[in-house]
Amino acid sequence: MFYLLQLEWLKQRKNRSFLMLGALYFILLPCSLLIAKSIQQWPPPINTSDTFFRFPDVFIYLGYVGNWLTFLLLGFLSVLFITQEFSSRTFRQNVITGLTRADMFWSKVYFMTAVSLAATLYYGLVAMVLGVIHSDALYTSVIMKHIDYIPRFFVMCMGYMSVGLLLGVWIRRTGFALFSYFSYALFIEPILRWGVHQNLFKHQSMHYYPMNAFEDLAPVPFSEMTKGFEKEFGFQFFLSPQQAMITSVIYIALFLVATYLLITRRDL
Amino acid sequence: MTILSINQLSKHYGRIHAVDGLSLTVEEGNIFGILGPNGSGKTTTLGMILNIIFPDSGTYDWFEGRFGNNPRRHIGALLETPNFYPYLSALDNLKIVAHVRKLKDPDFDGILELVNLKGREHDLFRTYSFGMKQRLAIASAMLGDPDVLIFDEPTNGLDPQGIAEVRETILEIANRGKTILMASHILDEVEKICTHVAILKKGRLLATGQVGAILSDEQWIEVEATERNKLKALLANIPELKSVTEKDRFLLVTTQPDFQAATLNQLAFQQGILLTHLVSRSKSLESEFLEITKEDLV
Repeated sequence: MFYLLQLEWLKQRKNRSFLMLGALYFILLPCSLLIAKSIQQWPPPINTSDTFFRFPDVFIYLGYVGNWLTFLLLGFLSVLFITQEFSSRTFRQNVITGLTRADMFWSKVYFMTAVSLAATLYYGLVAMVLGVIHSDALYTSVIMKHIDYIPRFFVMCMGYMSVGLLLGVWIRRTGFALFSYFSYALFIEPILRWGVHQNLFKHQSMHYYPMNAFEDLAPVPFSEMTKGFEKEFGFQFFLSPQQAMITSVIYIALFLVATYLLITRRDL
Repeated sequence: MTILSINQLSKHYGRIHAVDGLSLTVEEGNIFGILGPNGSGKTTTLGMILNIIFPDSGTYDWFEGRFGNNPRRHIGALLETPNFYPYLSALDNLKIVAHVRKLKDPDFDGILELVNLKGREHDLFRTYSFGMKQRLAIASAMLGDPDVLIFDEPTNGLDPQGIAEVRETILEIANRGKTILMASHILDEVEKICTHVAILKKGRLLATGQVGAILSDEQWIEVEATERNKLKALLANIPELKSVTEKDRFLLVTTQPDFQAATLNQLAFQQGILLTHLVSRSKSLESEFLEITKEDLV
């Protein structure tokens, strides 16, 4: 495992796109939330942005910011770090040089896990620092109330990246794979859910789509606004954390298995 | 030791048979050329034995199975184009190759020296000229000193000086006793470098064997005299002649390369035979190659 991770590091350490995306994440995660400070007036029921930075809600708000950033940046990265291997034909060269196809698969999965882990640790760190600075009093029980956001955040990162990896291996062309990733998440899945599924059966199953499941691991914080939805439909707007977690893990496993099959069965 | 044996290997894309029931054997120390026009299945064959392309049927076996099902760390190969990470320097790219091959203490300097890239190793791969990329690919194939090297059209797209350099490098490698497998559509190249050759056309093997046997550079002499029987008796006694065939208007003689038509003329004159026809020509390899690949397949 360490051998493959080291190999991936040799490939990525001087890759400008990787470094830029990483830097963007590290800068934007705290900054995006801190922008809220400059907005004085918030519509009710929020009223003030102070709660964004206090324990325990800092995990929720920062989690939602991280949700968008990981969807954009880590998703982009996961597509890129596999399609680059195809466009420069280094994938086949690596196999010619002596790796097995399974080695190639695992090196990408290990790297993806390492990146997700780093992104999650940074999320936890930023949440802690912001919380400690802004909370008036620190109680362990309050700090720990939403600590489950940390594993949820990790699974969310893995989820977005597994979609990117699968599309990258499947489509191979960087531009088209990126286009597919973003258009699936932003258009195709919402249309499937709200346009097709919801019209056929008004059932909670409309939430069990991969991108929605990953998203619901760190959902929109303003859940009061979804009360109307529950009244009309008779089920919740979000998956519960447990539902989202289990659904996500199943999807990640499926996507990785599909990626493995594509890598090991197709000509290079 | 048998380095590689290919048995009835086939691959088709749709209705096109890229490789069709190919069988070959490469022995240790061979410089084996796979010769064929473009689209004859050379690269597909190399792709299959390097596990890049899955064959539809047939098998191949490296090193008599000594290194199991992943023998590629013992083979240095360059397929079609030089493939490296464009945003990394030549040295960083070689480091990745060394890591993949699990080399303990790779000799980067020596290998860069061999392919004449010393001094440019810190430049990014994408800034390299095509000739430099090709030479880096040869360097990377040789990293770790593998026993077998595979080159696919190694001089393709190079200028004359580049071609000469690459050929020289390959011959230098060959002199170290390595086994080399080389695909090429240039007959001259195979003839100059290789010891053995297999000729492919439309995925089928037309001929295989030693270069000398398949692509003989023998001379032909057409000769006729007033008294053909006397001439025939004379020819039978000249050891440098390899064969004599009777044609309608002349006798067709194949000779060893250094045999001069003038010698024949002189010998005939000494025996009192007057030649009425004497034409010497060496059968060009190019035309022989075209002849072989033109033959209709049965």
